[in-house]
Amino acid sequence: MRSSHLLTRRTITRLRTLSPLSQHPSPSPSASSASRFSTDAASHPSNRVQIHLSRSTDALLNLSVEHRLLQITPPDSTVLTLYVNGPSIVFGRNQNPWLQVNLNRLAQIAQKKKKKNTSAAAATGWNDAAAIQLVRRRSGGGAVFHDGGNVNFSVICPPEQFDRNKHAEMVVRALKALSRPNTRVNERHDIVMDVASSSSSSSTEKAATYKVSGSAYKLTRLRSLHHGTCLLRSPNLSSISGLLRSPAQGYLDARGVDSVRSPVRNVDVDNDEFKDAVVREFESMYGEVHLRDEFDDDTALQVEEVRRGYEELGSKSWTWGQTPRFTFSTHPTQEDPRPRAELPFDLNMRLVANHGVIEDMDIKHRDGAAVDGLDASVFHGARIWEMDDWAASLARAGLGSSLSYEAGQWLNHMFGTEYTKL
Amino acid sequence: MASIACSLRAVRPVAMRFAPRAAPVVRMAPWRSFSSSRMSLARKYTKDHEWIDLSADRKTGVIGISEYAAEQLGDVVYVELPPASGEWTEQGDSIGAVESVKSASDINAPVRCKVTHTNALLEEKPATINQVPEDDSAGGGWIVKVEVDEEGAKQFDDLMDAAAYKEFIAE
Repeated sequence: MRSSHLLTRRTITRLRTLSPLSQHPSPSPSASSASRFSTDAASHPSNRVQIHLSRSTDALLNLSVEHRLLQITPPDSTVLTLYVNGPSIVFGRNQNPWLQVNLNRLAQIAQKKKKKNTSAAAATGWNDAAAIQLVRRRSGGGAVFHDGGNVNFSVICPPEQFDRNKHAEMVVRALKALSRPNTRVNERHDIVMDVASSSSSSSTEKAATYKVSGSAYKLTRLRSLHHGTCLLRSPNLSSISGLLRSPAQGYLDARGVDSVRSPVRNVDVDNDEFKDAVVREFESMYGEVHLRDEFDDDTALQVEEVRRGYEELGSKSWTWGQTPRFTFSTHPTQEDPRPRAELPFDLNMRLVANHGVIEDMDIKHRDGAAVDGLDASVFHGARIWEMDDWAASLARAGLGSSLSYEAGQWLNHMFGTEYTKL
Repeated sequence: MASIACSLRAVRPVAMRFAPRAAPVVRMAPWRSFSSSRMSLARKYTKDHEWIDLSADRKTGVIGISEYAAEQLGDVVYVELPPASGEWTEQGDSIGAVESVKSASDINAPVRCKVTHTNALLEEKPATINQVPEDDSAGGGWIVKVEVDEEGAKQFDDLMDAAAYKEFIAE
């Protein structure tokens, strides 16, 4: 029943989209009410140059549509997608969110949003009405922050045409056309802006360099994807560095990919002006555009594969369970000899997790003596993101009440339990 | 590993990759069909820059990426190994991924296969892939060991040998 219904819809879409290939939908917003995300048009071999504009601000949705385009657009096509996400932290495929992100602050912001508690708002210094979405993307690279003052660009092209700088240069040309001549692509393939020091207007000018855009890539057998951010007018710049700083940093030793911290700045350009300028540069590189499309949450989620990708990307097992192996230790070890701050409880704790699941947990007194009555093996196999309260778990493992409370509260803070249990 | 092909030169017209796989007359050397005592392991390469060693009995193999690919990737910072799930992977489907220079690149199965072992060394020392990508010994940069069935063995015969691969990347 269901499949025949789908078939009918697909056939209709095909009929509607394939016949007038050369007839572009009007770019005016009014015409877009009729638009829907058409995978038939996107996958049609004649559509070798495509532009997709998103009207969704859901990072999960935008990344899922982009991923679907990576899978279905013709092998020789070049596809530009532009989207703006609501406040979100998007981290790399092989990163550790416990290490990259201040989960406690995300929890505070989410709770503040619920309670509309203004004092908490002041405490977090957060300027946005929305909670922050946390997303592990499918591409490599480090953790970035997005909000409504940031436009994301993405270009999908054949592998043999892939070059890490090619489309960053395209965006730089767009920025230059918008009177931002001091932008350039740096050696990390990021877009940076050189700014004369503004500390005092009359002092000797000294240029400082700020990152305004970061990139990541996903390379598959048939297609290459480059996507990047561009900070235009984010109201949350001062919060970014705090959001991307984890309390567990000094204790956690992770395999996988770390982020490179860079000072950031807004380019100060309007979102729509930026999008138009990028589209113009894209058009001047690739000529005639065969397909222009817009999508939003509803139309995109009607596509079965987009919905499935969306669910996978939003699942806890992807967000947390894809985390490469890591060791967390309260004390210096041979593998991770960094000095640690002295903790207010008499315990040395060390845990090893793979895919976010505890493989080994070791708890002793600081002098190395075993803790009476404690059986740490109850932690084995536990998913860290499902821990509601480390204090309760430590108590269940047989640790005395005051110790389990103190150590548990501290672990709750380290692993952002307030956030993961939301 | 198409990925790495990337910035390189035009690899092959894309259309070629879609060429129907059917036709390939299996060019088996006659001795192969009846020899029961093959002497050496054969190594073959894919256009996606993976290599595979097939055992003499054509039932198991070792897979890795080519030196050329490793060079093109740049510094490998993480290798995502597949779980030995007991499931068969079709030729061309992903059996893992590597990350280098902010890029996640798929590693594809050169032939239909089932992963039996993964190279745990790569978890700890991903750069091994840059140093000795074509070494299938302990300490080498091989990625997985696999079981191969008849279909996979047949696909193996159609891959490029070292000389053909060398010519392919020189194009």
